[in-house]
Amino acid sequence: MLHFSIVTLPTFILKNALRNKRRALLSVSSVAVSLFLLVTLQVALRELTLPPPSAGAELRVAVRNKISLTNLLPARQRTVIEKIPGVAAVSPFTWFGGRYQNEEGMSFAQFAMDPAKLQSVFGEAKMNLDGYEKFAAARDACVLGKITADKYHLKVGDSMTLASTVYPGSLTFHIAGIYSGTPDDRNMLFRQDYLDESIGQPGYVGMWWLKVKCADDMAPVIKAINAAFANTSAEVRAESERNFQLGFISMLGNVKALIASISTVVVFTLVLVSASTMSMAVRERFRELAILKALGFRRRELFAFILAESFGLAVAGALLGIGGAYSLYTFGDIGKMTQGIFVSFEVTPRIMGLAGLVAVLLGVVSALAPSLSVARMSVVDGLKTLD
Amino acid sequence: MAEPIVQIRELTKLYAQGEIQVTALDRVSLDIAPGEFLSLMGPSGSGKSTLLHIIAGVDRPTSGVCLVQGVDVTKLNESQLADWRNHNVGFIFQTFNLIPVLTAAENVELPLLLTQMGRAQRRRQVATALELVGLADRAKHLPRQLSGGQEQRVAIARALVTDPALIVADEPTGNLDSHSAHEVLGVLQLLRQEAGKTVIMVTHDPKAAAFGTRQIHLEKGELLP
Repeated sequence: MLHFSIVTLPTFILKNALRNKRRALLSVSSVAVSLFLLVTLQVALRELTLPPPSAGAELRVAVRNKISLTNLLPARQRTVIEKIPGVAAVSPFTWFGGRYQNEEGMSFAQFAMDPAKLQSVFGEAKMNLDGYEKFAAARDACVLGKITADKYHLKVGDSMTLASTVYPGSLTFHIAGIYSGTPDDRNMLFRQDYLDESIGQPGYVGMWWLKVKCADDMAPVIKAINAAFANTSAEVRAESERNFQLGFISMLGNVKALIASISTVVVFTLVLVSASTMSMAVRERFRELAILKALGFRRRELFAFILAESFGLAVAGALLGIGGAYSLYTFGDIGKMTQGIFVSFEVTPRIMGLAGLVAVLLGVVSALAPSLSVARMSVVDGLKTLD
Repeated sequence: MAEPIVQIRELTKLYAQGEIQVTALDRVSLDIAPGEFLSLMGPSGSGKSTLLHIIAGVDRPTSGVCLVQGVDVTKLNESQLADWRNHNVGFIFQTFNLIPVLTAAENVELPLLLTQMGRAQRRRQVATALELVGLADRAKHLPRQLSGGQEQRVAIARALVTDPALIVADEPTGNLDSHSAHEVLGVLQLLRQEAGKTVIMVTHDPKAAAFGTRQIHLEKGELLP
């Protein structure tokens, strides 16, 4: 009895797909790189337009000047807000705009606030008790997010001097604690009274952050705050943290449209490249496909061969591209990779599904043109290409 | 006398070459008996390949009848023709046309992928076909590891693996040296003698044609008397 392998349709398709190994590798790589890019863009878009909600955000209210975020609010508003039923805690929150170590730009934000309200308003920030006590005790104390502390190798007890781009002069701070656990552990928080003292007690704050007692208090508190300062010299806009974030994001401009455009170009280019590769692969095998037809293979079987090959290459690329993006962004340190621009970069099942769908469509679309030309080819015409 | 395996009546094939109409076959009538080894000869453009293609069901005539084993192949649709070819015709081409990524055995097995045959039976059929052409020991070789003559014998094994009644060969020795050509023609002759296959072979070569039991000549689309 002879011993030899028996061919199956899957092995036949696989052998055909790997016939030109370099081309197969380049095809798979182009799909992988493009889908990696697509996933990256989609995740970036999601992170920009849908920042991760922080714990306690559902009870937090932002109060800013109705004219714009850059217009300050009178410090005297605090007592009015504190008296509104349902308000649990209020803290000023004033943008300092400091530059650290003569850096060109600002790599982390600094805000002045009431140290006594840190835990009650921003309770998700985890820090040891000693840090809270030191923050409350020393006027020049500050607390620093872990990402920034790690970036500049700063630790508790170190001092840091920041030159403000908003107020005249510089301020020196002593680090009382390092916090983590917020969606963005980069900010530096320091004391409002230290800022007030350094700039001569102007009686203004940037905005207010407050915590309500329960979810049912949100709407009435927001309404009451807006009403309390209506027709005053400093009208306010009170809104939930979520709405505040979305309003802030809208200032970025139409990033969504930009990323959507780039994604479309990526997908379109990918389709062109893959369709061209498949057409080339099939054109090289036109004679063999004619032979298969002569042997009795029907159009649908030849279409299945081409589709399976195209689909296989697309899926292999998808596994590498989507899998690579998932692994990198799930297990890698996204803070380090993006220099702290992104603190989370979640490849969601929806985004992976979208990229997978693109791969599937790519496999089908790339197979269409070569399949049509093979279907239209008569055996005789195919055979004529032989000699 | 046995019923002819191929009955051709008034077969005409017209091609349009630009604005000119070319007559490839002009009212050809022909009977081919079962077990016959017919050598179809003629100069280039005489219509011999066209006739072979119509008999094998890969081309359609403009008019006329072509009955093969009682089936009018001109009346079958694309899908029926494909199925019919798989079961009834074995093809041998001038340029062998083996799939380069498949071994000799896998190439021979290709037509069987379209049948309901199990793996064990397929393996037996392939082994038998390869033994018949004397290449049992080359089963695992890729086409590039075979000589031209061996490649053509693998192609013959592929043509007969489904056990068709009719084998059509289009210049099967056109790309071979005289020794290999002799071997291949010997195999075709053996198929006729031992397995009772009907062989129709297109050739330019009178020496190759001499292996047939009958020779016919075509010129300008007409059968010469």
